[in-house]
Amino acid sequence: MLTALLLIPFLGALALVIWPGQPAPETIRRGAILVLGLQLLWSLRVLIGFDPGDGEMQMQESISWVQSLGLEYRLGVDGLSMPLLLVNAGLSLVSAFASIGISQKPKLYFAMLLVISGAVNGAFLANNLLLFFLFYELELIPLWLLIAVWGGKNRAYAATKFLIFTAVSGVLILGAFLGLALVKGQVDFSLTPVMSGQLSMGAQLVLMGALLIGFGIKVPLVPFHTWLPEAHTEASTPVSVLLAGVLLKLGTYGLLRFCLGLFPEAWARVAPWLALWAAFSVLYGSLAAIVQRDMKRMVAYSSVGHMGYVLLAAAAATPVALLGAVFQMVSHGLISALLFLLVGVVYRKTGTRDLEVLRGLLNPERGLPLTGSLMIVGVMASAGLPGMAGFISEFLVFRGSLAAYPLATLLCMVGSGLTAVYFLLLVNRAFFGRLAVTPATEPIADARLDIQLPAVNLRDQVPAMVLTSLVVALGLVPAGLGRLSESATTAMSQLPALVAAIASAGVG
Amino acid sequence: MPPPLPLPIQLAWLIPIYGFSGMVLSLPWATGWIKRNGPRPAAYLNLLVTLLAVLHGSWVIREVIQIGPQHLDWNWFSAADLNLRIGFDLSLTNLAVLEFVTFMSLLGQVFALGYLDKDWSLARFYALVGFFEGAMAGVVLSSNLFVSYFLLEMLTLSTYLLVGFWYAQPLVVTAARDAFLTKRVGDVLLLMGMVALSAWAGSLEFTDLYAWVGNSQLPPLAGTLLGLGLIAGPMGKCAQFPMHLWLDEAMEGPNPASILRNSVVVTCGALVLLRLMPLLTISPLAVRVLLAVGTISALGGALVAIAQVDLKRAFSYSTSSYLGLVFIAIALQQPAIALLLLFAHGLAKALLFMSVGSVIATTNCQDLTELGGLGTRMPATTMAYLVAGAGLIGVAPLGCFWCFGLMVESLWAQHPLFAAVVLLTNGLTAFNLIRVYRQVFLDTRHPKTKRAPEVNWLMALPMVSLTVLVALMPWVMARIDTVPGIATFGPTTAIAVVGSGMAGLLAGALVRLDKFWSRSVIKPLRMVQDLLAFDFYTDRIYRATIVAFVAGLARFTNGFDQVVVNGLVNRIGRFSLASAEGLKLGVSGQMQTYVLTTLVAIVLLLTSLSWFHG
Repeated sequence: MLTALLLIPFLGALALVIWPGQPAPETIRRGAILVLGLQLLWSLRVLIGFDPGDGEMQMQESISWVQSLGLEYRLGVDGLSMPLLLVNAGLSLVSAFASIGISQKPKLYFAMLLVISGAVNGAFLANNLLLFFLFYELELIPLWLLIAVWGGKNRAYAATKFLIFTAVSGVLILGAFLGLALVKGQVDFSLTPVMSGQLSMGAQLVLMGALLIGFGIKVPLVPFHTWLPEAHTEASTPVSVLLAGVLLKLGTYGLLRFCLGLFPEAWARVAPWLALWAAFSVLYGSLAAIVQRDMKRMVAYSSVGHMGYVLLAAAAATPVALLGAVFQMVSHGLISALLFLLVGVVYRKTGTRDLEVLRGLLNPERGLPLTGSLMIVGVMASAGLPGMAGFISEFLVFRGSLAAYPLATLLCMVGSGLTAVYFLLLVNRAFFGRLAVTPATEPIADARLDIQLPAVNLRDQVPAMVLTSLVVALGLVPAGLGRLSESATTAMSQLPALVAAIASAGVG
Repeated sequence: MPPPLPLPIQLAWLIPIYGFSGMVLSLPWATGWIKRNGPRPAAYLNLLVTLLAVLHGSWVIREVIQIGPQHLDWNWFSAADLNLRIGFDLSLTNLAVLEFVTFMSLLGQVFALGYLDKDWSLARFYALVGFFEGAMAGVVLSSNLFVSYFLLEMLTLSTYLLVGFWYAQPLVVTAARDAFLTKRVGDVLLLMGMVALSAWAGSLEFTDLYAWVGNSQLPPLAGTLLGLGLIAGPMGKCAQFPMHLWLDEAMEGPNPASILRNSVVVTCGALVLLRLMPLLTISPLAVRVLLAVGTISALGGALVAIAQVDLKRAFSYSTSSYLGLVFIAIALQQPAIALLLLFAHGLAKALLFMSVGSVIATTNCQDLTELGGLGTRMPATTMAYLVAGAGLIGVAPLGCFWCFGLMVESLWAQHPLFAAVVLLTNGLTAFNLIRVYRQVFLDTRHPKTKRAPEVNWLMALPMVSLTVLVALMPWVMARIDTVPGIATFGPTTAIAVVGSGMAGLLAGALVRLDKFWSRSVIKPLRMVQDLLAFDFYTDRIYRATIVAFVAGLARFTNGFDQVVVNGLVNRIGRFSLASAEGLKLGVSGQMQTYVLTTLVAIVLLLTSLSWFHG
């Protein structure tokens, strides 16, 4: 059943590439949408078969592959990966939908999109460390291509930077996985937590440190974040949607699944420092976002800030906090995808994303009123206003972490307040006021009253509207997602305690 | 098994939903999907659902009088030890405030139909007001802090959108931003308090919290911080010093929204504080801060109001001032008086803003120096102004007279200072009211007031109804049961209240008002006048301190990010490129060197591995 989630996108990509002749880009896009729609339907089918009461891996499938290497094809899904699978399926579809006007090598473009989607599915489903790593790396090259070929002006620099950072991340992760096998002395790449009996604390800390930095690059956590704003500014809108909505989640998923999941003891040892690191990352991202002029850079820095909450929650590792981490991953996926889509519309219609230039886009007849209204909802959701997905996520994270790390949690809440500052600046500058899309040099001579932005096709706004509805729905009725993930996150929060109990029993 | 509750009570959760549904119903017109026949249907639909809310509310009151207060709650979200519930308390007090809120919303919406008659985005206004009303109705009924917070934030959002209603105007843009950010600061602090309470007390139901606070073992510092966090939210909502700036700027928004903001929204904020009041025993400092903030807001607001030349601003500061008195009452544990004052002030202030709105709608002007002589031209508006003014100050036996009497009586013995604050505020407000009255309704006619017919019936109807209601206030207040009864103060107190009001009236009637020389020629006087007119320069102080600090920190972070972090990354990149170029030239081609290097590397690797192993 889970294998189909890999087969659909990979076979789809293969079919696209070997399809004879040169169909029109629009036809290819439809084909990709069809494949991704199928993938979404199949993900929903997996959801139906999923038992939320069970905190363990479900629907496991395994084929032994390269036994001597410990590489085993083993898939499984639990309450942590299930929501992320759905987010991936949904946002891949949104991304294909938003890929309008790809005239350059459309076949390759959509095939790459499908490969990314499949690889991300694989990474979320993999129950074997090496298999995870394979998928983790597999997603890298297509994304690099998407930025390097279909990107903006400065795309070569951004794509190379992205490639180097993420390759380093991959090397660290692989190194940690191999190191684990070496020091354990057995080629076992399953997801069983490492106990202190097996491994000294020093070795655990070194291995987990490598993983932490590896995933920290992907998340990204300050100071490993500099690739993200560049990649976002140069990537096209659909790629940004995927990057922010799905690929960053690989990093936080890795933190939860492999750092916390494999090394609960070492994690508990460094957790207080991680909480402070999270607070630093949140404040740093939020403050840097305030002064950005480029809307996309601003949203990118906001991602840096908001992913910090996940680290805070993971550091606290209480059941509520971990559930909050899942919520935050899902809601950040939806909200940042929404924001990037809307910024993309603005960019396509006005030709600029500069906040010093754009004014009054809410103008009802000549501006982008619907885009503006959705943008207001999106930024409010991101700022954590109740009734939308951001609030319940942040509330759970803060509520779960406050008792353990009061200072770091309070600092993160300040970061949440700063989110309101920069996003309000964005809305106020670009959407309020009198309509203008070019720099005002001579206010009277350039009283450009005749600006008429091309109307946005209502059909193109459908993904943004669907995302907005999802954000609101998740904010009003969060119980469903809570039920889906609770048993898994609760089981995970028990890990450190469990290990401690076993260790003390062993000593006694 | 207890008998099932009557249907209207079971369905009480619908009351906030009516408002929200009004928003949803308005959307087709607000977004322009339906363009035929103009946006009016959205307004009618909203009026209808608001009327439903009023009727449903009064029905619930009748049932509650018969079977006593009820509590409704549903599970909203629970995980591990966290249990978030939606709870509504149907007590008579809550329901009375609910009726007040929904009824004012109804009147305000009828008024808006006349006031915004020609506005192209009427439907959007009604959508926002529906949202506003739903959030307020929910806050009023809520029985736990979580729901209160949830809806207070929604109020923040809708205030932002309502203030930013005419978003193309530059002043509106800054006003909406400041309104949102100021309230957001208060909200984030409240969120900190709420998260802490949720973690420490386990439940967020007010009754559980009251029980918890009685035997909690919090360290004093935590208790103090908690108390300060909890009062910050209501402070922002009620436009209390130092978070009062937004209400003044919010006057850039359409007047019907100002009516609601100055009467019922601030009431909602104060109501949340009222519910938090028993928790404040944990933090004596928070109580002292409340008293200080209330006193500064009461006196400062009243003084600043006197120096304003803008018709709406002259009264928005007075709202801060009255809410300051409410804060004092709450801090001194006088909930009944606080509620009465909120009620009396809310009705009278709404009427005052309707009257002001009529003036603005007729003359298209809100500058006091350009108005005059409207008294004979607009009789209903003048009447409304006079009755509202009488309702606000302690001279005639209308609403606030009884509140001030009760407050002075109860405070005089133990806190004479705060009783004096009440009297002083009373006098200053009287001064301000009569000053504005002279400038707008008396005086000679000015160009802008030459042709000033009375407003259309859509505005006149709610205004006149409310005039009657304010005039009947004492009777209504006597009906709402307050424990001591409203006339339980002695003649001395009554004389003090009337005396302070009369003094203000007299001074206001006699002071020289010169429209041409509205800014005094005497230098010291002018400096005081400027100080008050610019609200103690609060906005400049903010810009020089907090705003500058955050902006500076943000610029520093960004610079650090660009130069240090990113610079380091790029330098490593360049260095590796350059060293590769260099190494390219250093390749010897000797086989032996290669083998040696490889061997050394392998040995190093193996040693390090065996070290790990051990």
